[in-house]
Amino acid sequence: MSRSIVIVGAGLAGLAAAFSARRAGRSVTVVSAGAGATALAPGAVDDVPWERAASAARVARVPLVRRPLAVDVAAFADALGLWSIGDDGADVARIATVAGVIRPARAHDRALLDLSTIRGVVIVPRAPRAAWDADALAATWGASPFARAQGLRFHAAEAALLRHKGERGIGELDLAARHDEGDRLDWLAARLREALVREAPRGVDAAAVLLGPWLGLAAPRAEALSARLGLSVGEALGGVGSAAGLRFEAARDRLLASLGVDVVVGRATRLEVEGARVALTVHGKSDLVVGDACVIACGGVAGGGIVYAGAGAPDRARAAFALSLDAPVDLAIGGVRVDVTSSLNGPDLDETAWPTPGAEGALERVGVRCDGARAAPGICAAGAAVADRPRTALEAVAAGLRAGREA
Amino acid sequence: MDVVVLGGGVNGTGVARDASMRGLKVALFERNDLAFGASGNSSGMIHGGPRYLVYDPAVTATSCRDSGNIQAIAPHLLFRIPFLMPVADRGPKMRIFFDLLDGFFEAYDQYQPLKRGKPHARLSQAEVRELEPGLTGDLVGAMSFDEWGIDGARLCVANAVDARERGASVRVGCTVTAIDRRPDGAVEAVRFRDRVTGEVGRLTTKVVVNATGAWAPLTASLGGLAPERARVRPGKGIHVLFDRRLTNYAISAFAIDGRQMFLLPWENLTVLGTTDDDYYGDLDHVRATSEEVRYLVESIARVFPSIHGARAIGTFAGVRPTLYAYGPIEEALSREHEIIDHAEHGAPGLYSMVGGKLASYRLFAESMTDELARVFRLPGRCATHTTALPGGDEAADPFAMATRLGVDAVATRRLVYRHGSRSARVEDRMLARPREGVTVCACEPVLEAEVRYVLANELARSVEDVARRTRLGLGACGGMRCAARCGQIVAEELGLPPREGVAQAIRFVTKQARTRVPALGPDQARQEAIAMASARAELGIAATADEDDEEPP
Repeated sequence: MSRSIVIVGAGLAGLAAAFSARRAGRSVTVVSAGAGATALAPGAVDDVPWERAASAARVARVPLVRRPLAVDVAAFADALGLWSIGDDGADVARIATVAGVIRPARAHDRALLDLSTIRGVVIVPRAPRAAWDADALAATWGASPFARAQGLRFHAAEAALLRHKGERGIGELDLAARHDEGDRLDWLAARLREALVREAPRGVDAAAVLLGPWLGLAAPRAEALSARLGLSVGEALGGVGSAAGLRFEAARDRLLASLGVDVVVGRATRLEVEGARVALTVHGKSDLVVGDACVIACGGVAGGGIVYAGAGAPDRARAAFALSLDAPVDLAIGGVRVDVTSSLNGPDLDETAWPTPGAEGALERVGVRCDGARAAPGICAAGAAVADRPRTALEAVAAGLRAGREA
Repeated sequence: MDVVVLGGGVNGTGVARDASMRGLKVALFERNDLAFGASGNSSGMIHGGPRYLVYDPAVTATSCRDSGNIQAIAPHLLFRIPFLMPVADRGPKMRIFFDLLDGFFEAYDQYQPLKRGKPHARLSQAEVRELEPGLTGDLVGAMSFDEWGIDGARLCVANAVDARERGASVRVGCTVTAIDRRPDGAVEAVRFRDRVTGEVGRLTTKVVVNATGAWAPLTASLGGLAPERARVRPGKGIHVLFDRRLTNYAISAFAIDGRQMFLLPWENLTVLGTTDDDYYGDLDHVRATSEEVRYLVESIARVFPSIHGARAIGTFAGVRPTLYAYGPIEEALSREHEIIDHAEHGAPGLYSMVGGKLASYRLFAESMTDELARVFRLPGRCATHTTALPGGDEAADPFAMATRLGVDAVATRRLVYRHGSRSARVEDRMLARPREGVTVCACEPVLEAEVRYVLANELARSVEDVARRTRLGLGACGGMRCAARCGQIVAEELGLPPREGVAQAIRFVTKQARTRVPALGPDQARQEAIAMASARAELGIAATADEDDEEPP
């Protein structure tokens, strides 16, 4: 009988752990309580924190290129089928955010428009959406150092993006879902084509079209739209909770199904190690989920895997932070073990919680204390659940793959 | 200039308005932003303060009288806040105390008609529970009394805008670096520096009014006087903001050390306040700390325990410029105000306004301007209590406006609250450019037209300034959803480089986060971590100031 692995969490780290464990021939059960940090993330996939990379490149005066992906990370990305990862050594992708920034990314959800290979004019259609002022966004992106260096211009243009009057009031995700339908995508392509035709006599020779995060929920629809239109169309990066997160969930579920992984939906509450077996209690389920090893990949504070303990919870007031499931592991903030706090109300986060340009904040650095992927006998941890956790998506993948192998 | 007023708080803008109305040539300089200090960080009440009745009944009387005046000139900015003061049943002593309290509020009732307040009511335990089920424990009962809430920042803006329209020059973000005096000691000019553009200048004037609140001693020293000549006893007060109206009645309670404090339904949020501690720190960077927050939360939890489950979304802090006295505890300090004529210190033409409180700002400004009228031999009398502030002249109907514009009535109600009849000017923008009817900040909510309006007409120079005027970004999301968009609009309206708009958004989001962090409870920690992830993905947390140096790839 093959070794069986229990994985807590179905974000990137948990999924990667499931992937590598299955590849190693193990049977895998994933326990997931619902959307975590990955499902909220807006679609840029970094290997190193992008601000740090950008500033280092600036200081060293070297171009930002895509650093090689590890073979197993590339294989995972390929199996997930959601990201455009580009070639090692090529220029990094450049993603426009709806906040008006053009930021580098190692890889990205395939619906996002990569500006690194585009020269000339990018059309930004005007749409009656709250966070989308095409004129202001075009001006802001156009003034960014990257656009100036690249000779990239952004041009706001009239285009009908809403088919029905009532669509003014629908949410961004609802609009994205409508573009999962082929005929709606045809309709959008036709409207964009009209806009391009209107702009052409004004001397605007469009190289690409940049839209908000509206291109599909079940899968990225940018390529299908680009094919219909004959030029690059893609999304700008939206905020937390935009369509990219739901596209991840859809791609994840497809991958888990194809890997033959059992999925249990529910919140893990307790993990016990007895000899060579682990047993996981899931809230509301009478049967324990048992296996030979467990991977904790339930996220950091943002994902709900690490819980901040404070006033009104005497059982928790003994330590500042707790893992959201009761497990025989230690927590640490950075390299320092999370100890009994000398405050009944939990720690003072005044100076430490929010990150500064040079350092992560305490809420980002707290997690399971690990030696590599190993947290305790029979228990591995991966992703944001780990102290001094991987800062980026690709680091979480690498950690997940390793934990899945070692578990 | 006849008069240079230093300080854009409620006293400074009040004097600038009054002096302009009486025909003086006035310039006002504000180092940070209008309402940056105590005026914009107060409890947001125009109250007579039963709190002061024991120490200073005169303050209660003047406050109540002028509260009525402020209602008359800016009715749109005031909203009624009924208070409940519960009394815990801990034996016969408390029942006697309850009767004493009844008598106390009977005394306070005498002042209520001055501000159109209702008389107090003596409520039984059952009646209190019905009104506010969140109050727990055995109660003798509760007293109700009546106060008025106000947006202090809007009050300052209204005064400043009115002063400008009457010919005053108002410069925001512009610090005075020196007060020049003639060899005989008299005031001659002020030197100033614009903190945004770096522009410097000198302006001759006959009189300088130091209305810089807690900064007053510093300001006096710019004129070559010893700081003690305009001494105040700076008292830091913090407030905690909760994401919704937790109650419909303000709850007045006693902190563990016997200080009076309150939980206040304020506009669409709840405010918990306040502390009063001597402050010796940097006045430009006053911040609440987590232990101050806990002191307040634990104190109110005694009567309103469900506060522990409420979501705190921020803190704000200010420093009161209380009249100087060595010895008394903070709470017992006088809320009276005082005008110091520095002629007695050899500096004729220089005045300092110290002390005071939001509720009596107009009266304080009137006294100061009366003094100016004497100096300049002006015949006119004060009319600030009979002349409406901008927007206060007539009522606007938010529901009709919502129908006309096809926007949410919640948004127009908030708009009408802030701008009164001048909301029609914002409406005009939307009718001319329907695109401006979209919501920029969904929490408050704030429409794009209002953001552009305050940038064009209300001396806002940054995202933070817009927030102070519209409360954009001060709601539950902490600006994560609207700061970037607001930055774009700021850059566009003020002709700044678009990058500056992004940089301002990052500064605003970071500053909001820093004021929110001390109030983080267990349940907000996750929210906060998500906010960080969002900021990292969209904006970048590292400062982007040096990004313009980026070499071509």
